[in-house]
Amino acid sequence: MDFFLLLVATGLVSGAAYGLIAMGFALIFKSTGVVNFAQGELVMLTAYISFSLYTTFDLSFFPLMLVTIPISMLIGLVLERLFIRPMLGEPIFAIVMVTVGLAVILRGVTIMIWGPDPFNFTAGIPTEVVYIGSVPFYPAQLYLIGALAVMTFAGWAFLRFSRMGIAMRAVAANETAALLVGISVSRIHAVAWMLSAAIASVAGVLFAANFKLAPDLWFQGLKSFPAVILGGLDSVIGSAVAGLIIGMIENLFQGYVGQGLREISGFIVIVIVLMVRPYGLFGSKDIERV
Amino acid sequence: MLALKNIQILYDRAIEAVRDVSLEVPTGQIVALLGSNGAGKSTILKAISGVLYQEDGEIMSGSIQLEGEQISGRTPRDIVEKGVLQVPEGRALFATLTVEENLLMGGFTRSRAETSEGLERVYQMFPRVKERRTQISGYLSGGEQQMVAIGRALMGKPRLLMLDEPSLGLAPQIVDTIFDAVIALNRDTGLTVLLVEQNAQLALQTASYGYIIENGRIVLDGAAEKLRANDDVQEFYLGFSGGERRSMRDVKHYKRRKRWLS
Repeated sequence: MDFFLLLVATGLVSGAAYGLIAMGFALIFKSTGVVNFAQGELVMLTAYISFSLYTTFDLSFFPLMLVTIPISMLIGLVLERLFIRPMLGEPIFAIVMVTVGLAVILRGVTIMIWGPDPFNFTAGIPTEVVYIGSVPFYPAQLYLIGALAVMTFAGWAFLRFSRMGIAMRAVAANETAALLVGISVSRIHAVAWMLSAAIASVAGVLFAANFKLAPDLWFQGLKSFPAVILGGLDSVIGSAVAGLIIGMIENLFQGYVGQGLREISGFIVIVIVLMVRPYGLFGSKDIERV
Repeated sequence: MLALKNIQILYDRAIEAVRDVSLEVPTGQIVALLGSNGAGKSTILKAISGVLYQEDGEIMSGSIQLEGEQISGRTPRDIVEKGVLQVPEGRALFATLTVEENLLMGGFTRSRAETSEGLERVYQMFPRVKERRTQISGYLSGGEQQMVAIGRALMGKPRLLMLDEPSLGLAPQIVDTIFDAVIALNRDTGLTVLLVEQNAQLALQTASYGYIIENGRIVLDGAAEKLRANDDVQEFYLGFSGGERRSMRDVKHYKRRKRWLS
């Protein structure tokens, strides 16, 4: 039983990371229709920037995030302006390819600046083990799960109640109609990139704090894909929940079926989801009136 | 209030959708723009709202003026802020949003106070919309959707309201409700309306002035009563065949001649 609890607990931790990264994907997809293949790289870049801030100013976690998040949003905005805005009106596929290119560039730039060697990065989080029931946790693990909870709630409240959030859903539902009520669609796209980068930075810093800060952090972006698909590409909240589910599935596969299956299990889920429920658990089926 | 002068619109820089169209919408009046499918009616409305670029359309020449001020080339947002709002063809609601969220988005460019005030006004005008306010708009009936679409546009505090085929696909009774609402708005608040319709009968009863567009050109215009009485309009748009049937060859010849003359 303890073994099971441990698997679930660590599953929730890595699942929380997937969930956060998947939320970033979903936010951009929802409002722009583009799958941002550079999301993982955004996670990596912002984590490295946070690392530099940390080593320079020696901040504890919350002040560190208070600095990292605005910088990340700025990066999101700049990337959108430089790479995505000029592509406005081009076919979606072309824009997706731009994000693939962007991913390679960001990866290269990060390694160029910080080098290929991994760093230990605590992000100012204490390291004494905490017990919840009989299950031991590192504080960083709890921070990660907590961050997912906070971001999910914030994301839900934003999309549900704020003008900007409703406008974001409006753009997703009907872009022309959004223009006709005076919503500036390009501004909404920019906001989506900024928020997505902010979430990416939270995910990046906490992931690095849990494991290590290494150039292969970008790969987490791809590994979050099963969560994105399971949650439904356009469901921000769904991605968060799906992240947790995928994290647990992976861990349980690893624990009970076999070590090598960890990496595969998520993608098995993708295949099954696409066959059974292509719009994901929480994604929107297009509303069609007959 | 609104004046189009010699507008020419091309799609993809190749297909001429609208050619040399001039029309005027005087303040406080309802003006109808009539024509069959593909005549260029919706294209003109899109040009006024500034959303042509979405479909690779472009105004090649001519000007669109709102009270003497040039508005072609402005962003859609600017145009909405100036009080020119469009109810797009086929409603185009934000289908995944609730009715109330749709209406709130209509007031996106307006202040919070103006928005809640507008919400009250729309609910008063369409009590049915109020009943449905928490429902997902995509699941409403066509008529209710059209009410929401008009309500959404009204939330933007229009001075000029442009309706793109509000009768499309609706039951006659609902159409009456909607047109009554538009007439009441015009009468009570002096709202200026540009009404695009295929249903000429209905449009010419509602409007005070009408333009008839064919293949991207205005072929006829005049006061609504006059248009209603016009033989050509009766024959081609109102469906009166006027006594004896003519052969199709004559009709074609006649239409051809008519185009060259105009």
